[in-house]
Amino acid sequence: MKRSFLDPSPGTLAFGGLVFTSLVLVAIGPPSARKPWAIENASSPASAPSQVAGPDITLVSVSVDLPDDTVPFPDGPHAAVINANCTSCHSATMALSQPRLSRDQWKAIVEKMRATYKAPVRASAVPEILDYLNAMSGKLPVNGSPTAASADRSGGTG
Amino acid sequence: MGSGALLAAPALGQGLVDLALPGGPSSRPTTSSFPEKGEMILQRARPPLLETPMEVFDQGVFTPNDRFFVRWHWADIPTSIDVQRYRIAVRGHVNRSLAISLAELLRMPRVELAAVNQCSGNSRGLFQPRVAGAQWRHGAMGNAKWVGVRLRHVLDLAGVKPGAIAVRFGALDQPVVPTGPDFTKSISLDHARDGEVMIAFEMNGEQMPLLNGFPVRLIVPGWYSTYWVKMLNDIEVLDRPDDGYWMAKAYKIPDTPHANVAPGTKDFPSVPINRMVPRSWITGWADGQTFSYAPELPVGGIAMGGDAGVAKVEISGDLGRTWHEASLGPDEGRYSFRRFDMTLRVPHAGSYTLLSRCTNTNGVTQPMTPNWNPGGFMRGCVEAARVRLT
Repeated sequence: MKRSFLDPSPGTLAFGGLVFTSLVLVAIGPPSARKPWAIENASSPASAPSQVAGPDITLVSVSVDLPDDTVPFPDGPHAAVINANCTSCHSATMALSQPRLSRDQWKAIVEKMRATYKAPVRASAVPEILDYLNAMSGKLPVNGSPTAASADRSGGTG
Repeated sequence: MGSGALLAAPALGQGLVDLALPGGPSSRPTTSSFPEKGEMILQRARPPLLETPMEVFDQGVFTPNDRFFVRWHWADIPTSIDVQRYRIAVRGHVNRSLAISLAELLRMPRVELAAVNQCSGNSRGLFQPRVAGAQWRHGAMGNAKWVGVRLRHVLDLAGVKPGAIAVRFGALDQPVVPTGPDFTKSISLDHARDGEVMIAFEMNGEQMPLLNGFPVRLIVPGWYSTYWVKMLNDIEVLDRPDDGYWMAKAYKIPDTPHANVAPGTKDFPSVPINRMVPRSWITGWADGQTFSYAPELPVGGIAMGGDAGVAKVEISGDLGRTWHEASLGPDEGRYSFRRFDMTLRVPHAGSYTLLSRCTNTNGVTQPMTPNWNPGGFMRGCVEAARVRLT
């Protein structure tokens, strides 16, 4: 199929000005020690993994190591506090990859982590965590800034 | 594309990718360090959020298992699965509770279908104004041929009691904080019994990677991935609505056309996210890529109909004033990706913006205007692919 209907798009494309303001580099370190799972492979490590066979397919037991990242929240106000409180459930990258958020928006997120996801974060640590997140967000350009808090009728995730 | 292609952005596969998210941060590492996975865009290591690089979708309508996106809510993910000891409980409002072994499952009647698995928040990073959450570009999706057993068959073995209204699904992953909400999802009983929803044990002809739900995951064709519960080990028939967190509070969308509300709106009638909408992407180049000028430009990509098949895909080179129908590739089923292609005659060098627009077999066409909601869910607008020919 041939078509000839192209008009040059107006203006210059923006790809010349890629934004590298907050470079999030995450090193993948050695597998962390993981909690043993309740269903352990019954066979010894040296033996072949167990299998279950059916017509045209055989399922083979799997045992893997999941990598963890080794990079904490970088330097900033109360970095030790956010590292101590926020990285037991998730990598620092979850916060570091967020767009620019206001202090109130970060507060809604931190409170959701505490109230909904039961994160063991002391109330007294929250202002210091917010200091860090607010300072981090402040380095991002205002362009593209959100206007809505995450504490809303959508409940988030995905 | 032809020789002489120049990349304006760092090439994928060199350890860093720029997702061009408005306002940033946009750079993400790429990694091949996850088990059973090739090179993926690292959104988050723990719990894993791995995005599929866009170039993968240009290589075929089926997404290779080792490039298929990964998304977990809680970090306590089992790392060892013994297939001989694995059981799937069927319980609740049934006549007979069951504990189905994989050997039993593999002997049951099978169904096979191709279906796109897409995260509810796919493309969230492109929402403007930006919203919090996993900052995906378009790669929180994949298409596979799934083989499994109809959920209906398993429900019939257990015998659903009168008065049942929904079926809830649980999995082996657990909250890191014991009191946190365990990830469970539910669908209506009628949906569960539609003969398409399946317990899949095969993905693109193989057992699925652990991070995609080995040994079995739920397949809910045409619906967002949040319902496709991985490492499925619990099927609970309910005689009451599911009031659990993951249905009642999370993954809710505005009950409006396109799940759209005015930016900043926080209070609106909401419903659990459900059916997918049509989408399409030009995949022949990275957005903004530069090539040597040639008079003919191949424009191709993938489309999905959402909860229906792909009826047509149109291309516009004039920002939507005129549209021209592309050729469609083989039909792999209504829930599958479908390839589209067209060759454009380009009059001269310059910068061009190409748009693709899918219409599904229900007559639903992608809108030009992006939707907005505070969860960053259900993006479905026409996407632009810019290219510079020099």
